[in-house]
Amino acid sequence: MTALARKYAAFARIAIAQARRERAEVYGRAAFFVVILGVFSSLWRAVADAGLPIAAEPRSLVWYLAATEWIVLSAPPIHLEIQEAIRRGDVVYQLGRPASYVIAELAAALGLLAVRAPLLGLTAFVCAYAFTGWIPPACALAIVVPFGLAGAALLTALFLWTGLLAFWLQDVSPIYWVGQKLMFILGGLMLPLQFYPEIVRRVAALTPFPAILGGPASFLLNDGLIAPGALAGRLAIWSVVTAVGVAWVFRRARAALTVNGG
Amino acid sequence: MTASSNTLTFVRALVATNLKASLAQRGAFAMQVVFMALNNFTFFVFWWVLMRRVRTLGGWQIGDIQVLFGIVAAAFGLAVTVAGGVRHLGRLIDDGDLDTLLTQPRSVLIYALGIRSQPSGFGDLISGAIFIAASGQVSWWRLPVIAGAVLASALVFVACGVLFFSLAFWLGKVETAARQLWDLLITFSLYPEPLFGGMLRLALFTVLPAGFVGYLPVRLVHAPSLASVALLAAGACAYVALAAFVFDRGLRRYSSGSRFTAFG
Repeated sequence: MTALARKYAAFARIAIAQARRERAEVYGRAAFFVVILGVFSSLWRAVADAGLPIAAEPRSLVWYLAATEWIVLSAPPIHLEIQEAIRRGDVVYQLGRPASYVIAELAAALGLLAVRAPLLGLTAFVCAYAFTGWIPPACALAIVVPFGLAGAALLTALFLWTGLLAFWLQDVSPIYWVGQKLMFILGGLMLPLQFYPEIVRRVAALTPFPAILGGPASFLLNDGLIAPGALAGRLAIWSVVTAVGVAWVFRRARAALTVNGG
Repeated sequence: MTASSNTLTFVRALVATNLKASLAQRGAFAMQVVFMALNNFTFFVFWWVLMRRVRTLGGWQIGDIQVLFGIVAAAFGLAVTVAGGVRHLGRLIDDGDLDTLLTQPRSVLIYALGIRSQPSGFGDLISGAIFIAASGQVSWWRLPVIAGAVLASALVFVACGVLFFSLAFWLGKVETAARQLWDLLITFSLYPEPLFGGMLRLALFTVLPAGFVGYLPVRLVHAPSLASVALLAAGACAYVALAAFVFDRGLRRYSSGSRFTAFG
């Protein structure tokens, strides 16, 4: 391992140690997971009783939601910490370290993700099974897990980008809310994209959200809408786009910080 | 002047001060309002898409869900605009920041609740009004009923917030857990009542009173009756009284933060 990789791995290790000590939030998210899957299993049962004209079964839709929520809840909302660091001015001290602020934050966030994802994944699996009494084919689950983790990592990078906007905006919450809701619709968080009108699906294809959420989770619907290779390609493209976006925003932010007096 | 009119004057002054503070940064205020309204409309897209395919869900139609969303959004908006401090109550208790309020000649709870206002609450209020107006389920003459239902729902929201965050008096750092409980209350309030049955329905009218936040107010707006008014009013009063009682008991256990802070 190179010295550079070891340096950022240390940030990840510190975050993992902290996350292991402060488990309240993860447990809270797990509890939320149980509730939301319970609500939606009731909802899909009611929808099935009403005669929903779609191919997917209610039990597949519960597993689909379990997968999308697992991805969303596993990604640590690092924009909040970045925003606070910028507001308080702490970021100035962190910028002076012999390490890239952006990569260090991302490494720490991925460390948090490594703690959250297994616990929330287990919660998702157990709850989805408890509410449906059914387990999807093992090969589908084996594909969902790596793609879900990749999706959660990309989502974390998008949160990082959102947090960096706090250099200009006092509060990035509105940006986060809109991003969250776009992800809700265009990512197919609760409803697979095939439910939505054609225009929504076309717009969604221009965003990273389907690759982050609906893409990985759709393997559980067994609808064959996307092949693993194609999904991997889209995730790779959006990862590059996000990396370029983060680097550009951070470079402009540093310049603005210097202009304002440093 | 009586004690109650004194309290009302105090509440009015707190709301006016918070409003002025929020409006001092007009750009940020407008942004939060607009984005919160957009946030609520986006969330509703799920129901719009689903209900295009399924006309009724346990007897509920899209208009009924719009009324539910409208009442819950408006009530939540009213709660966090007037009593935005509720979301910070756990931290105030745990950090010993109630010290500064204890020295004031006013109710500590009312002061703590009114100490902050959430500008995004106006976005909830506006989107709530639009949801209700666009539902096609209510006529203008029912406006007083809607206002009453929103007020009762907001009171239950605030009371539950006080109850959840007051756990900090006994358990210390509970902000995350209390906030998640409050979020669960919102989550359950936004789904149609027929989805939940058995023990869960009982819980939704007791420990996590989504029934008093969403379902009962919707029933009242759809079919106003003295019985439903009485039930909703009794429920709201009971939760407010319980919240005040729990906060008061907790305040007796409160230990100072031993910090010197400027306040004014």
